[in-house]
Amino acid sequence: MPVAPDSITLPAGALAADIVVEEATKVIEGVTVLDRVSFTARPGVVTAFLGPNGAGKSTTLRAILGIDHLTAGRATIGGRPFRDYRQPLRVVGAHLTPDASHPRRTARGHLRVVAASNGLPRSSVQWALELAGIDGIADVPVGRMSLGMRQRLGLAAALIGDPAVLILDEPHNGLDAAAIRWLRAVLRSLAAAGRTVLLSSHLMSEIELICDDIVVIDGGRLLAATTLVDFLGGARGPGPGRRVSLEERYLDLVGEL
Amino acid sequence: MRSAWRAELVKIVTVRGQWIGVVLATLAIPLASFLVVATGGLRSGASSTSGTVTGSLVGLLAFGAWSAVITAGEYANGTMVLSLSTVPRRLVLVTAKLLAVATTAAAGAVVSTLVALVVVLGVRAPGAHGFGDPASLVSVVAAVVVVAVLGASVGLITRSPSGSLVVVALALLLPRAASGLLGGLEPWVVGATPDTVIMQIVGGAQLPASQTYPAGMWAAALTMVAAVVVIAAGSALVFVRRDG
Repeated sequence: MPVAPDSITLPAGALAADIVVEEATKVIEGVTVLDRVSFTARPGVVTAFLGPNGAGKSTTLRAILGIDHLTAGRATIGGRPFRDYRQPLRVVGAHLTPDASHPRRTARGHLRVVAASNGLPRSSVQWALELAGIDGIADVPVGRMSLGMRQRLGLAAALIGDPAVLILDEPHNGLDAAAIRWLRAVLRSLAAAGRTVLLSSHLMSEIELICDDIVVIDGGRLLAATTLVDFLGGARGPGPGRRVSLEERYLDLVGEL
Repeated sequence: MRSAWRAELVKIVTVRGQWIGVVLATLAIPLASFLVVATGGLRSGASSTSGTVTGSLVGLLAFGAWSAVITAGEYANGTMVLSLSTVPRRLVLVTAKLLAVATTAAAGAVVSTLVALVVVLGVRAPGAHGFGDPASLVSVVAAVVVVAVLGASVGLITRSPSGSLVVVALALLLPRAASGLLGGLEPWVVGATPDTVIMQIVGGAQLPASQTYPAGMWAAALTMVAAVVVIAAGSALVFVRRDG
């Protein structure tokens, strides 16, 4: 099992690139799933992308990565659409699902495919395996790994190019306490090194610990895009002198409190 | 492009079932040819090279099935999202996939044909058969590559491994099976199917006129290649539009 360090030393990013989503609109079979969503994820901070299930988070992340087309609006990374990058892993690392690897391929094989696709050296495979703490199970088929281990593999694939930008869709799912602590350290280290981190999650207590900026959408519409401090600022929780938590503020905003 | 192509090759070699599929497809032609020749199925006067290709239809089916499952399987097991997020340019990605399948199939076909030739030379009746033209065996490699690209293209279009298998099998078998329905088009259609193109180029096999391409064997080969290029371009178009 991997060590869960308090901090991880990563090299400073060669690039500083922001993620800019402008008036992103997506209509699928007459249903508007994204409605003029705009926000920016800045370098050097961790931006949380929050919303209930079906709010449009994954659609937005897929649009940023050029996997889905927007009906209107645009999404750029470092001022360019994702598709303009010939070898994107040096700029953008993404982890959208723990099921993106063939169940009969080993973790090492999976990372070899990822590295080869962007001309990364073979040494990057071992580096990513060790960074994600899965070098001990590198030759186990992915189909025999737990969800948490597959999440780590996805994170290793996202980090393998040492990118300036990291995009993660619900990376906490299936992680145990040690792995959550490890991920926290990785994300904070990335931000400290000037990288841009955008992640969706439903784990509010963890988001409150690691995020600087908050973006909230619901029903495909933007509800908030601000700093965590401003998001919580001024609101008071139940009981005298108690500060409102992110969970309470978020649930209040999306009308589920 | 080179990186994307290499990644597609690494995909094949890092899943045991996928490279075992190549090995099995590679064994198909020698095994089928062995069975035909060893059981006296090679008619007198036929050359060893024509004996070598008697099992080519089995090999073509095997490589076509393998390549169809390779591409359609990416949709079936949900791994296409990784391809799309690591190689953002759709045309580069689809070209790399088709090239990787073609490269692997070509390597397999070369080995397959050489092994089949050695097997036939080993089991043929002594003195009963001439050697034939070894250069004509290149047609086997070309036909295997064509069918592999066809299978991969169909896999990209259907996104279904089982559906792709059915389409590839129909594409290879239906023209001859339903030749009676083709009327005057029969020699133009059946004569340009991969296995009859091989038979025409390798020679020795007495194909009936209804299955011999009227414009000659090289025109038959060109027609076969052109048809698959059109299908591959169609699959690329579908891929770019649907997954773009």
